Amino acid sequence: MAAEQTEVVLRLAKATRRYGNKAALDQVDLELAEGEVYALIGRNGAGKSTLAKAAIGALALDAGSVRVLGADPARDRSVRREIGVAPQEIALYPHLTVTENLGVFAMLAGVSRTERASAVARAMDQTVCTERAGERLDHLSSGWRRRANLAAAIVHRPRLLVLDEPTEGLDAETRLVLRSLIDGLRTDRTAILLISHNAEDVAVLADRLGVMEAGKLLVEGRPLELMAQAFGGRTVLVARLSAASPSAERILAARGLASSDRGSCWSGMVVDAVAQAHEIKMALRSVDVELRELTVNPPGLDALINWAMGSVGA
Amino acid sequence: MILVVVMALSLWRDRAGLVLVFVLPPLVFIAFATVFSAGASGRLDIRAGVVDEADSADSRRLVDSLRQRLGGRLTRLPDTLALEDAIAAGRVDAGLVLHGDLADAPTPVTVLIHPGRRAAGEVLTAQVNAAAGQDLPDLMLHREVAVLDPILALTPDQVRRATGAPSGFGSPPSFTVQRILPGGDPLVIYYAGAVSILFLMFTAMQGAMSLIDERRAGLWMRLGLSAGGIAPLLGGRMLWLTGLGVVQALVLFLVAAVLYGVPLLANLAAWSATAICAAAASAGIALALATACRTREQAQPVSTFAFLILAAIGGSMAPRFLMPEALQTLGWLTPHAWVIEAYQAVLWRGLVNTTVVQAWTVLSSFAAVGFLAAVWIEGRRRL
Repeated sequence: MAAEQTEVVLRLAKATRRYGNKAALDQVDLELAEGEVYALIGRNGAGKSTLAKAAIGALALDAGSVRVLGADPARDRSVRREIGVAPQEIALYPHLTVTENLGVFAMLAGVSRTERASAVARAMDQTVCTERAGERLDHLSSGWRRRANLAAAIVHRPRLLVLDEPTEGLDAETRLVLRSLIDGLRTDRTAILLISHNAEDVAVLADRLGVMEAGKLLVEGRPLELMAQAFGGRTVLVARLSAASPSAERILAARGLASSDRGSCWSGMVVDAVAQAHEIKMALRSVDVELRELTVNPPGLDALINWAMGSVGA
Repeated sequence: MILVVVMALSLWRDRAGLVLVFVLPPLVFIAFATVFSAGASGRLDIRAGVVDEADSADSRRLVDSLRQRLGGRLTRLPDTLALEDAIAAGRVDAGLVLHGDLADAPTPVTVLIHPGRRAAGEVLTAQVNAAAGQDLPDLMLHREVAVLDPILALTPDQVRRATGAPSGFGSPPSFTVQRILPGGDPLVIYYAGAVSILFLMFTAMQGAMSLIDERRAGLWMRLGLSAGGIAPLLGGRMLWLTGLGVVQALVLFLVAAVLYGVPLLANLAAWSATAICAAAASAGIALALATACRTREQAQPVSTFAFLILAAIGGSMAPRFLMPEALQTLGWLTPHAWVIEAYQAVLWRGLVNTTVVQAWTVLSSFAAVGFLAAVWIEGRRRL
């Protein structure tokens, strides 16, 4: 019901882009409404960056269409002002200060001279980097640069924001600041396309999640629903042994675990992981195999990607 | 040993490195050898002008002989004034005036020399003497006999025998005289222009290559979201590189003005126009190259090679009249030749003549074509 009341900011319809015989985007349909955070996950080369480029009009499609607020961003220059991008690299001028950088991008985005100073101040305030406003980018640590990188993407109050790994390599504090910012932007009805490998970011921020592989959008849905659909009540059990042993192999394989390194590290998806862990511990002790570590984890994005590839991509 | 293998493999897989190490040196050698070997060996394809005031049988024979030696590079002109103009405008490298009776006049041939092309004057003098000695031996012998007769009181028989044995006499005295045209030493202006355009190219390329870094960092994609699109962004960069180039040229010419008296202030307007056109041409070419290359590793050797070759052919390293004729013609395809010609005309002769206007037009065309190529290439890359 709510989706009907909100405006669709980004719409890709059968978006297709090929490089030679390889499809970087293969008939992708995607809609992103205002105030929504859509997380895009997938392996390297799955087509996430290509989709992001297509979404902002930086890449022409071989077939299909892209519309931002109803206009083609590759042709309609005015709609580009409604888009903000924070690439994974720090896309700012290193010899300029934070304020100067934001001023440049505010001007290029068409923010009027009278509003520019307040726009820059607001963006710095939102990303909590005001205290470093007068410092040159190349004198800042990576966390501060990333805040400035994000500030430059929102200085002109875009209605569509594309974020490529915004929390990559950040400390916990900066990560929280940026998550809080993204949450705030969602409240301000900004539509956010988030490319991330970070499961926590996706879990905390994303309203919807799409899994890409080989240019295709394999599955999409709400993160919790997708996780439930993919794994039911299962969690990941990891057992690390001090040494490989045939008897341990029999015990672990019988419980659905597989080794990734010739017998010393085992993992697998199990139901009722706590009971399973106890059983494994007892069984290994009975055959005198030393257990170095036994952990129970929620399934990560990699597991979700693997599930999507297995259930849809195959 | 393993490090040798590692480095060999790295080089083998680095195509730009391979080109830089193994392909560029012989190519640059070939270009430089072609450019400079003619001058070093004395085989100079100079362009000469001739005024035949004598218009006698002997003078016509001498002109014909010179025409055979110089081929199409000998131009007849109606009078000395026209010849001096042609030399000053750079249409010919040196000139020749034949006046009086070639057989009897003490110095019947005057070689007019541009002060900036003295080597051309020496070559023309040598060509005249060689032509006279080899193709007009009777004339030269007559001159020898005329000189020796009053001193030695030769008998008619001796004179007759002498004219039948021309090899017994040496070079005729004072057959040619050299006159250097006024105007001070234009070589300073020549090299100011030559060095200026050489470094303009490298400076522009350094500036343009930041575009590659910006593209790699995603900055270019972010900039591309501006409402104007790619063309204004490249235009702004072109404007900056042009301005930077003009300031660089100004510094160089100010040094030339202070140290060597180059008349910069007296010709400031025409100099400024030339400097702007030269800097814009460099910026356009650099932007086209920078957009065509995907990485700095590609751009660096490509631009270095291109700029060194352009500089060699265009006369930034040695005057073009020292080069073979084909290369002199090829030189007009480089901005360097036009920049040097324009600065020489503007600062040495104080003229804004046809050559200067042509130079401005050609340089502006380089700028426009380079810029449009950059916009097109960048547009294609986005697509």
